[in-house]
Amino acid sequence: MPVLSLNVKDVVRAEEGEIYDIELDTNILKANQRLADENRRLLRKHRVEAIDVMGSTGSGKTSLIEKMIRILKGRYRIAVFKGDLTTSIDAEIIGRHGVVSVPINTGKECHLDANLVSKAIKSVNLKKIDLLFIENVGNLICPAEFPLGSDKRIVVISVTEGPYMVVKHPFIFMDTNVVAVNKIDLAEAMEVDIERLKQDVRSINPSAVPVKTNCRTGEGVPRVVEALGL
Amino acid sequence: MHEYSITTQIVKSVTEEAEKHEAKNVVEVHLVIGDLTFLNPEQVKFWYEVLIESTILEKSRLRIEKKEGRVRCPSCGYEGSFKYIDDPVYHIPFPVLSCPNCEGIVDIVDGKECTIKSIKMVVS
Repeated sequence: MPVLSLNVKDVVRAEEGEIYDIELDTNILKANQRLADENRRLLRKHRVEAIDVMGSTGSGKTSLIEKMIRILKGRYRIAVFKGDLTTSIDAEIIGRHGVVSVPINTGKECHLDANLVSKAIKSVNLKKIDLLFIENVGNLICPAEFPLGSDKRIVVISVTEGPYMVVKHPFIFMDTNVVAVNKIDLAEAMEVDIERLKQDVRSINPSAVPVKTNCRTGEGVPRVVEALGL
Repeated sequence: MHEYSITTQIVKSVTEEAEKHEAKNVVEVHLVIGDLTFLNPEQVKFWYEVLIESTILEKSRLRIEKKEGRVRCPSCGYEGSFKYIDDPVYHIPFPVLSCPNCEGIVDIVDGKECTIKSIKMVVS
C-alpha cells in the first residue's frame, strides 16, 4: 500500500458495526430563544420598550393595558400585540383607545412564541412607536417558558381565582418584574388574603413588585406604571 | 409541558445527525434537562418510545441526565446552587431567587436547557 510519508499512518475509520459516539451539544430550546433575542435586538434598535403582560384568563390583562394606555398616551406612542387562540375581540377593544393594535391568533398553541411576535413586529412601523405591550394568551404556565424578546414582564392575577394562584403556578413568578393583584374590591367577598398573596410572590421572587389593583376603576394602576419604570 | 412537541424535535434532530453519518441505527441518545426546564423526564421518555417506532432510532435508549440549576449573586459574588423553599405546600423543595448567602436577588446562569449531549450510533 502506498504511503504518503513515513509519519502519516493509515487512515483510521470505524469498522462496519462499530459504534460512533458523537458529541452534539444541541440545545433544543435555543430556537425560540434565538428568535426572542432577535426581536429584542430589533426593538432596541428602534428604541421601543417592550413589556410582556401575562396572567390567567379573565384576570384583567386587557383592562390593565387599557388603564395604562390612558395614563401613558400623552408620553409614549403605544402599540399593543394581543395574543389569543382565536378572535380579535380584545385587540379591537384596545384599538378604540387610538393606539396601534395587532391581534395575534395562536390557533391551537397555548402561548405566544417569538416567531409569532416577530411576524407582528414586521407588521408595524417601529419608527412610529416607543412603547409596546405584548399581551399573552390567558395562561399562567406555558408563557413562562417562551421568551418573546421583551424588556420587562408583568403577571396579572385576580382575587377571584382564589388564594393559591401563586403557589400553584410558581414558575411564572420567578421571571417577572411586577405582579398586579387585581379585583381587590372583591377580596372580602372572595375571602382572599391579599397580603398573603403578595408574600407568596416575594418568597419566590424577592425582586418582583406586587401591586394591588382594581382595573375597572383604575386604582393602583399608577403604581404599576411606576413599578414598570414608565 | 409540551413534552410531545419537544420530543418530536429531539427525534428529528437525532435522525438528521444519524443520516449525516449514514448510520444504520441509533443505539443511545444522551439528553440533559435542566432543573428549571418545564419538561418532565418521564413524559419525555414516554413520548420518545412512541415516536421512535419504525425509525432509525427504534430500540435506542434515551438516557436523561438532570442538570441542577445554578445562580450568581451580583451583590456578594456567590455562584452555586439555588436556595430552596421547604414549604410543604409545594410538595417538593422549590427553587427561589434569593441568594443562599446574602438573601440578595440572584441571576439564573444554568438549568434552563434541553440539550442533546451526544448520540451513539452504529455505522453502516
